[in-house]
Amino acid sequence: MKKLFQEFIKGIIRENPTFVLVLGLCPTLAVSVSVANGLGMGIAATFVLLGSSVIISLVKKFIPDQIRIPCYIVVIATFVTIAELCMKAYSPVLDRALGIYVPLIVVNCIVLGRAEAFACKNSVAASFFDGLGMGVGFTLALMFISLIREFIGAGKIFGHTLINAFEPVAVFGMPSGALLVIGLLLGFFNYLKRRKA
Amino acid sequence: MKEIVRYGFVLTLICAISAGLLAGANMITKPKIALQKANEEKAALEEVMPQAEKFEAVKISEDSQYYKAFDKSGIFLGAAFKASAKGYSSVIEVLAGMLKNGTITVIKVVSQSETPGLGSRIAEAKFTSQFSGKDSALSGVQAISGATISSRAVINAVKQKAQEIKILIENEK
Amino acid sequence: MKNNLNVNVSPHIHTNESTAKIMWWVVASLIPAGCAGVFIFGLNALWVIILSVLTALLAELTWQVLTKRKVTISDGSAFLTGLILAYNLPAGVPLWLPVVGAIFSIIIGKQIFGGLGQNIFNPALVGRVFLMASWPSYMTTFIKPLAYDTVTAATPLAALKEGKAIEHLSTLELLLGLRGGCIGEVCILALLLGAAILLIKKYISWHIPVIYIASTGLFTYLFAGKQLFSGDWLFHILSGGLILGAFFMATDYVATPLTRKGQVIFGIGCGLLTGVIRIWGGYPEGVAYSILMMNAATPFIDRYTKNKVYGAV
Repeated sequence: MKKLFQEFIKGIIRENPTFVLVLGLCPTLAVSVSVANGLGMGIAATFVLLGSSVIISLVKKFIPDQIRIPCYIVVIATFVTIAELCMKAYSPVLDRALGIYVPLIVVNCIVLGRAEAFACKNSVAASFFDGLGMGVGFTLALMFISLIREFIGAGKIFGHTLINAFEPVAVFGMPSGALLVIGLLLGFFNYLKRRKA
Repeated sequence: MKEIVRYGFVLTLICAISAGLLAGANMITKPKIALQKANEEKAALEEVMPQAEKFEAVKISEDSQYYKAFDKSGIFLGAAFKASAKGYSSVIEVLAGMLKNGTITVIKVVSQSETPGLGSRIAEAKFTSQFSGKDSALSGVQAISGATISSRAVINAVKQKAQEIKILIENEK
Repeated sequence: MKNNLNVNVSPHIHTNESTAKIMWWVVASLIPAGCAGVFIFGLNALWVIILSVLTALLAELTWQVLTKRKVTISDGSAFLTGLILAYNLPAGVPLWLPVVGAIFSIIIGKQIFGGLGQNIFNPALVGRVFLMASWPSYMTTFIKPLAYDTVTAATPLAALKEGKAIEHLSTLELLLGLRGGCIGEVCILALLLGAAILLIKKYISWHIPVIYIASTGLFTYLFAGKQLFSGDWLFHILSGGLILGAFFMATDYVATPLTRKGQVIFGIGCGLLTGVIRIWGGYPEGVAYSILMMNAATPFIDRYTKNKVYGAV
């Protein structure tokens, strides 16, 4: 049990997909404009990660090594499409905000990366917790980045204006601002890590 | 040779299962998605024609249409229409409502990606509220300073389309 | 960037004396343009300049104290960055704008990379582009010259872009700077005076600025008119930030090529990009973006134009 908990917890800080593994930056840059978008993207990606990790570790003996990548992609694409259909049906606003980045979860390196590096070698339970941990880590990182960007770039948090006199720094809402924030955060985390070592 | 057949079989099986799952998911969500889409459209139309209760799409040509708006008791009120024009850096789409005498009720910018902070201000109420109550000539609508091209695009698009629709609905009852 | 000054490939290990001396001379050569700007647009322009410079110095001091580095604010480079940033702002901006811009220039544009000599971009332009992207409405609202009031006027280039009838500006008015624009870019005569000082003192070579201006002129002459070979090239040279950019920003020691050949490529590149942005791009003015883009290309230009070392294989 303790080991499973370890698999879950490692994705949040020690092996955080965004800040430590530096995977899946494309959706991170694109959707981290507002916290609501970040949360939606995080949940969708977590669902896909969970589903694909469990299924892949379940059928890992059945899939020949030589064609594992196409098999993984089909599994992942299935979950992504289900997530997209659900989003369209129950939250069209979020669907419009995330746009093309939902179908693009298929090629998100985190999902394929976990399938390849973890799920195809480990038990179903371990893969479940690994996927969940990575998904939560990704979601938290996305929310952290989008919190900064939404606050500085639009003067809002969760869509609510906080200070009226504050004139938002619009560049933080643009792609260039996303690169800036992620670059500075990565630098900051590396600085912390080096100081600890 | 035997290996290839095995690979093909495994991949086919996985694809078949996935296709089945997706067909199921599609079946469940399809009516819901259609409903959401219709609701959204109705909400947008109601926003530009607040007095209307019922809308009816009318095709002008292959790829353009407008909506006739009726009140509760089925009396014809006017029309709602989409107008679009090339702005500074994107195609701006506007939804507008018009009473049958040609007075604009409300306009709403549906989609645009103009320069944030400059051209994007065409979507703000400060600009769009100027249109309400004007006739289709739109005289007196002020462009936003610093965003003249985007503003002009909206004004001209609405003006042109409004005059076109006005002729069409003039004789409606 | 004259050969006998021994400016080498960055990182610079420099004796403070020569760098500081050059920097302060550049500052001095910019003073006439600043005075002209204040005279044309009024006192708010002076406040913008003072605040920008002070903030740049303070930001550099604070960063160097916090990161326990050698404090180098006396070398004039932070002062120069603040000054050039202010020259790139409209005179009527709210006074917090130059403060924010100067902090961004110094911290993100320069110190993050490791300080003077390490920065890949001209820090003042980084600040300007940041402000432009963040508060475009302030950055494109210009004061009418000699009105000393809040009357606004479009820059000649912006008027051209929006297809408005341009009120006729004579070449003399353009040379004197009697037009809407940024504080330091308008008075061409004052800028040329400063540039002449730097050229005579051999602190800058003529290659980048002259080639930059000439290629912009040629390009606009070719393509800016209704048909080929009918563009108003003189208007394009005199009516934007081109003169300020070419002499004082495209000649930045750190972020421009070191070899003659490289400088020629740099100048032509800047000129082409400026012309393309002005004629077909989304913004009326493209000097800042062109110089930044060519700054980014500088390492490549340097790599492919470096002088062959004698005897090296």
